[in-house]
This record gives sequence, structure tokens and C-alpha cells, in this order.
Amino acid sequence: MSKSLPRASGYFRTSYADELPLVQTTLQRLSLKAVLLALLVFPFFATSFQLDLACQVFLAAIGALSLMLLTGYAGQVSLGHAGLIAAGAFTAGILAKELNAPFWVTIPAAAVVGALLGVVFGLPSLRLRGLYLAVSTLALHFVVVYLGGEYETKRGYSTGIVVDPPKLGGFELIDGRLWYFVMLAFAVGTLLICLNLLRGRTGRAWRAIHSHETVAEALGIGIAGYKLLAFVVSSALTAVAGALFAYYRGFVSVEAFSLFLSIQYVAMVIIGGMGSLLGAILGAVFVTLFPYAIENGMRLLPGAEKLAGAVFAVNYAAFGLVMVLFLVFEPQGLVGIWKRLQSYFVLWPFKHRPLASGRR
Amino acid sequence: MTALLQVEQLEVVYQRAITAVQGISLVVQPNQIVALLGTNGAGKSTTLRAISGFLGLDDARVTEGAVRFKGERIETLSPQDITRRGIVLVPERDKVFPNLTVAENLIANAPRGMTLAERRRLHELVHQYFPKLAELKGREAGYLSGGERQMLAIAGAIVCGPALLLVDELSLGLAPVAVEELTRRLVEIRRELGIAILLVEQSAAVALEIADHGYVLENGRVVLDGDGPRLKSHPDIQEFYLGGSGERRSYRTVKQYRRSRRWYG
Amino acid sequence: MQLYVNIAVLASIYALIACGYVLIYRVSRVLNLAHGELMMLGSYLLLTTASLFTGHPYLAFAAAALLALVVGALVYLFLLRRMTGEMVLAAVLTTVALGILLRGVMVLIWSASQQYPREALGWANPAIALPGGARISTFALLLILSTAAVYLSLFVFLRFSRWGIRMRAAGQNPLLAAQRGISLHGVYALAWGLSTFTGGLAGMLLAMDSGLDGTMVVIGLKAFPAALVGGLDSLVGALLGSLIIAAAEIFLIHHVDPLLSDVVPFLVLIAMLVIRPWGLLGTKEELDRV
Repeated sequence: MSKSLPRASGYFRTSYADELPLVQTTLQRLSLKAVLLALLVFPFFATSFQLDLACQVFLAAIGALSLMLLTGYAGQVSLGHAGLIAAGAFTAGILAKELNAPFWVTIPAAAVVGALLGVVFGLPSLRLRGLYLAVSTLALHFVVVYLGGEYETKRGYSTGIVVDPPKLGGFELIDGRLWYFVMLAFAVGTLLICLNLLRGRTGRAWRAIHSHETVAEALGIGIAGYKLLAFVVSSALTAVAGALFAYYRGFVSVEAFSLFLSIQYVAMVIIGGMGSLLGAILGAVFVTLFPYAIENGMRLLPGAEKLAGAVFAVNYAAFGLVMVLFLVFEPQGLVGIWKRLQSYFVLWPFKHRPLASGRR
Repeated sequence: MTALLQVEQLEVVYQRAITAVQGISLVVQPNQIVALLGTNGAGKSTTLRAISGFLGLDDARVTEGAVRFKGERIETLSPQDITRRGIVLVPERDKVFPNLTVAENLIANAPRGMTLAERRRLHELVHQYFPKLAELKGREAGYLSGGERQMLAIAGAIVCGPALLLVDELSLGLAPVAVEELTRRLVEIRRELGIAILLVEQSAAVALEIADHGYVLENGRVVLDGDGPRLKSHPDIQEFYLGGSGERRSYRTVKQYRRSRRWYG
Repeated sequence: MQLYVNIAVLASIYALIACGYVLIYRVSRVLNLAHGELMMLGSYLLLTTASLFTGHPYLAFAAAALLALVVGALVYLFLLRRMTGEMVLAAVLTTVALGILLRGVMVLIWSASQQYPREALGWANPAIALPGGARISTFALLLILSTAAVYLSLFVFLRFSRWGIRMRAAGQNPLLAAQRGISLHGVYALAWGLSTFTGGLAGMLLAMDSGLDGTMVVIGLKAFPAALVGGLDSLVGALLGSLIIAAAEIFLIHHVDPLLSDVVPFLVLIAMLVIRPWGLLGTKEELDRV
């Protein structure tokens, strides 16, 4: 099926099969190729600092994509994302430390633990909605972090667990460029999993639940099952991100998984734009790079040395401010801006899309 | 004599796309009961919302025309400013504060500059019209029956001291007996307090019973208007709103009717 | 005996903070997760007024309390007012973002180090011996008394005053409230003002008792399970919830593990959400509204 369909001028699909291909238009295929090429070539030109940033972005993107699945599509709010990342990181850390388990055991183990925790995090969603659900995930976050802290103190690793770099087929994974490709692979894998889930029955069920639970149930969608599934999938993916984080940093400590991290992930989803995977990625890029941008910006100011101590506080304040601005002025997030630009050029000289537009 | 409320060529558009009301004009004179009739989607509730200033909530906007109250344009004012100028709405749903007692329901309003004496007088009057409310004073409004709720809603609106009362679907979900009592009260209120009433109704029989003047809306336009009795005896109203003569009309007659409506509009 | 005194003090801290959560939630259905930060802001304001009005501690205290009230109302008018009509969750996230913003700004203005507003005001904090051999510091006692006073006056205000009834009305049915001429923005701003005032009061008394630094936010966050356990729309519930959480926390710290301190409120919260999500005294239909 390589039929190219015009994008903006209408809805020309005539069979359900036409809906399925992930890449639908020539332009999409071209831009996808360009992006892939850029991503593959990038590490050979980048400095190690840039590679580190890219790895952080990929890591954040995995977390943001899975949160987007849960919040943006299935409509289940979670403020406990950091707890799940912590769970993944601790699973990897503990297994590597206590049992000397290799990379290819700890990552799936982290996914399993994440899935189990997903059930725990998801159970309240069967009874609670919206605010109360958010609060229950928040509470669970504190519990997970407490358990991690308890493990650290009881085992005497009060400053954190040191994780040895993973071994892949005999040699150690230390090189930044290698890490880049590993992270890229995981991020792309997550994206594909999300895309596949969303274009099928599961994705439709989630969206139905999101827009109206009672109606969805009346349409024969098993609410409980699909809600739990959303939590399980999202949590498993997040935990994998956590495990990768543990290996990448070589170090696990509860301090890294504060409530602020959860909020950062929520911010990625909001700043990127609710209900869009592209949004999750854009949000991850934005939130990850933001503090570095602030730091660089401050260096340009006069009296930079004096401000050095305040970088942390400025970062905090600026992050809060940006989040407020997005919530108040651009609730659709970066994707909203992108779409507006797109339709401006596509529709020019007209202003509005017709009511029954083809692709949104 | 200037009209109390004058709606001129009103046009309302929802979400910048759907025109719900296209060029409705209507007049409410002081001390008059006016009925707004029509089926679902005719634009009655939208008109009412435009008058009371509650369009913004549904992302709707007055795009054309004007709403004048005592000569002043009010279509851009906020709901509570409109209320304070003397237009009070009795909504279709959620018409009482469920966890407040009946007495608190009546206190919980912020009328325009009224002295304590006036306010007290209104409260007494309300208890005169609806003696049942005085009995139920300490009861939480959530536990009232539909009829009692409607009473409380009207009473709550009256203590705001309106010059014009907008009543959305007075008879909805109420027993005919209750409706009859409520309409009787409305007539009394109009007579004794000089409050004009704009009544939006699905049930033409109820509305035309007490209305001095009526407007029939269809597809966002006024297709018919006239004083109460005349409207009541109009063959189209007889046929399509009051149940007609009982015989089934042929498809052609109905089509003819529709065509003539379009022509009027 | 000392244990019970500690519970009473901790419970009244939680209760004084929790009533702020309840006020805002009850009136505008928004959970204000910036409450901890606003409370800390209140105590920093006291630090500033103390240095402005040196030698007039009462004046400084009153000025700080008044400022907290104003700040709360301003937060609503300039920020949350724009979120009315949006999704409830968007409003909650806005408060989260506001909290982060405030935290950064406060560190920038007042630095992150521990400070002592009580000394700036020139007050002492002697311990008072209670019958039964327990001791309580003056400001802790003052805290208990203030909590009682605040709850009493809030109760009377909401029950009998015209504005109080309007606030309750707006909380139940904002649309109808607007139709009855109640200025929703006015009522919401009032709720935010009062909430920040009570929160600020808690922060100030706490700072006078034990000093002021960034950890105060944690206490603010721990008080919100108290509000939820009691039922987010019930003041009496908040009181009860605070008592339960404080008791659980103190007993567990004392008998099991001091590390539990930060997690106990949330454990109690989870238990409550499983058994009775709407809280001890909350209204059941609340669940479907959010």
C-alpha cells in the first residue's frame, strides 16, 4: 500500500485499510527519512556534552510518551510518574547489585515490576477520577520513594546505589556514542509501541474512555480492563526508562526522584500538547533543554559569577513561569502552535478549516 | 413608552461555526408576559442565554444585532451585571443550591442596591406567594420535590428584585397540577409586583394560557408572532403545537406547512 | 503525656493549614497545591515586615497577615481567574506551577538558609509546663489557640454571614450563583485571600516556634492528606483528618521508625481513598464532579 494521499484538502480514504499505514503521504515519508538520517548522523558530529543532552532527551521522551499514553489518550491523570521511574531504577540497581544480574535481565525485570506497580497505581482509577486519582498516584509516589529510601538506609547505601555499566556482548557500555544509539533505539521502540497501540482497538477504547466513561461502557468497552491496561503499559515503559536511567547515570538514589520530577513529566505533556505523541517528544526536548538554556542565558548577563549560586533558584522560578504561561495562554502546547502554523500555510489565504475537515 | 426589553435582529453563533439564532427580534413591554415557543433546537434557550449574558460558557457569541434593556444595550455585559440591572433567569436545570437550606437559598443572592426594608418586604411577599417555602425553611434544597424546587427557584429569583423574569421551561418534568399552580402564581406576581415575564416553553398549551404575546421560533428565526389568544387560535399552532384535531395529516400537508414557514422566515 | 501534647500541636498545625485547602476547594473546586508555598511566603513576609517595623512586633505581625490575605486574592485575580471555565485539572496544575515559581522566587529573595523571624521580632518562646509533666512552647500553645479561633470564626462566617452563605452557594452551583447576581470572581478572590491568610498564619506561627527554611513546604504538602481524609469539602472533616493523621504520624515515629514521618500522611490517605474516597465527612457526589 503505497498510495499517496493529499493531506489538507479533504478526506479521500475509501477503505479502513487506508487508515492503517503509519506514513501516509509523500511529504511525511520524506520528512521521516530526513529526521532519521539526521538522528543517525548526529552523534558523529556532536560533542560529548551534546551527546549527553541527546541521551537525556531520549530518556525523557520515553517517560513522556508513556505518560502521554496514560494522560493524554486514556485520560487518567498521574502525578506519580517519578515513583515509577524510581521503581524501575531501583529494580535495575538492586538486581545488578545484589544478584549481579546482567543488562538483559534487569531491563525486562524493571518492565515487569513497572507493570505490577501499574496495576497498583491503576487500581484506584477504577473508583476515582480526575483530582482524586491524581492525588492517589501522588500518594503512591511517596510510598515508592519511601520504600527506596528504606532499602538504601537498611542496606547501608545511604548515599545511593552504585550501578556498574552494563555489558553488551562482552564489552562495557561506557562510550557516549554507543549510549546514544541504545537510547535512540529504546525511544524509537517506545514510540512504535505507542503508535501501534493507539491506532488499534486499544487506542480507540482509551479515547472513548477519555471522552466519556459511561458512554464508552455503554458501547461495550470494558472500562476496568482498559484503564488498568493503560496504567500497566505506561508504567512498564516508564520503569524501563528508570532502569536505563540507573545504568546511564551509574548511580541510583531517592533524591533524584522527587515530586519535582513527576511535575516535570506532567509539564512535558502539557507544554508539548495533550493528546499528541509528537507533543510528548517536543515537551521532552523542551523541558530537558530548558535548564541548560537558562544557565547559558544567565552566563550572558553581567555579573555572571555572582549569579552562579542562584542558578538553581532561577531555574525553578523560570520553569514554574513557563508552565504557568503555557497553561494560561497556550493550553494546546507546542503542538498547538505547530498545528496553527501548519494550517495557516496550508489554508492560506483562508482563515478557518471547514467544520468537517479530513485530517486533524 | 419604551419597551422594557427589545431584542433586535439578534444573531448568535456557537464556536464560530454554528448559527443557532439568525435575526430574531422580539419585544417585552413592561408588565407583560411573553411566551417563546418552539421545538428543540429552535433557538429558544440560546435567545434566553443571550439576553441573560450566559453565552460565553458555551463558546457562543452575539455576532449581529442588539439586546436593549430599558434602552441600554446589554449584550456585552457580564451575567451578574445583567442580573443587577434587573433581569433574572430561572434556569432549566440546577435551579437551586442543593446543600443550602431553603432559607439560605433565598438569602444567597446579591441584588442591586436594595435597602434592608425592601429586601425584607420581598422575602415576606415570597412567603405569601409560596407559603410552602416557609414551612420548608430549614430543609436542604436538595431534598425538595420537583415542584417545590421550581417554587424555590422562582422565589429566589424574585428576591433579587427583578424587573424582568426569564423562566426557562417552567413545566419541564412537573405534574399538570403543579404547573397550573405555578402559572397562577406567575400571573399574580406579574399583577402585584409589576414584573414582566419572558417564558420559554416547549408546551405551548401552558405558555399560551397566560401569555399576552407569543413568538414561535423555528430554525433560529421567528416564524409567527401575535397576542396570546390570536396565536392560540392560529391554525398552524393548533395543528403543530397544541395537538391539532387528532386526524393524521398527509405528508403533503406537512411539507406545505414547512415550505410556508420557510417562506415567512 | 508529652506524646499527646505533641499530637495536639501537630494536629493543630495540620488543621490550620488544611482549612486553606478546604476553603478553596469548597468554593471553587480547585485543589490548591501551591498552598504550602503560599504558607511559606506568609512567613517570609513576616520576616520582611519585622525588619520594616522594628520595635513594633504586633504591627509587623498584623501587616504580614494582611499582606498574606492580599497576596491570596491577587493570586486568584491575576492567575487562577484565567483558569475558570477550563478543566479542573488544568487549574490544579496551574497551582502546581505557581508553587514551583514561588519556591524559586522565595529562594532568590530571601535565600534558602534557616532564619528566625521570632528573634527579628524580639519575642521569647519559653516552654510552659503542663499538668502531667508535659511541656509546650508558648508559640505552640498559641498555634493551638489560633487554630481553634480560626475554625470557630470560619464556621460562624460560613454559616451565618451573607458573604459566607454566598460562598457556599457559589461552591455548589456557580452558574446559578452568577444568575443570582453573586460576583463569582469576588467570592473566589475572597476564598483565596482567606485561605492564604490562614495558611500564612500557620506558616508564621510555625516559623516563630521552630525557624523558617524551605522544608516548610513539606509540612504544607503533608497537611493536604489531612484535608482529603476528612473530606475535601468539610471544615469539621479537616479538623478530624488532621487529628487522625497527626496521631498516626506521632505514634508511628515514636514506636516504629522515624523515617516514616514523611510518608505516614500519604499512607493514611491511600487507605482512605481505598475505603471511603470522599473522606470521613465529605459529600459523596463530590467524586463525580471532578
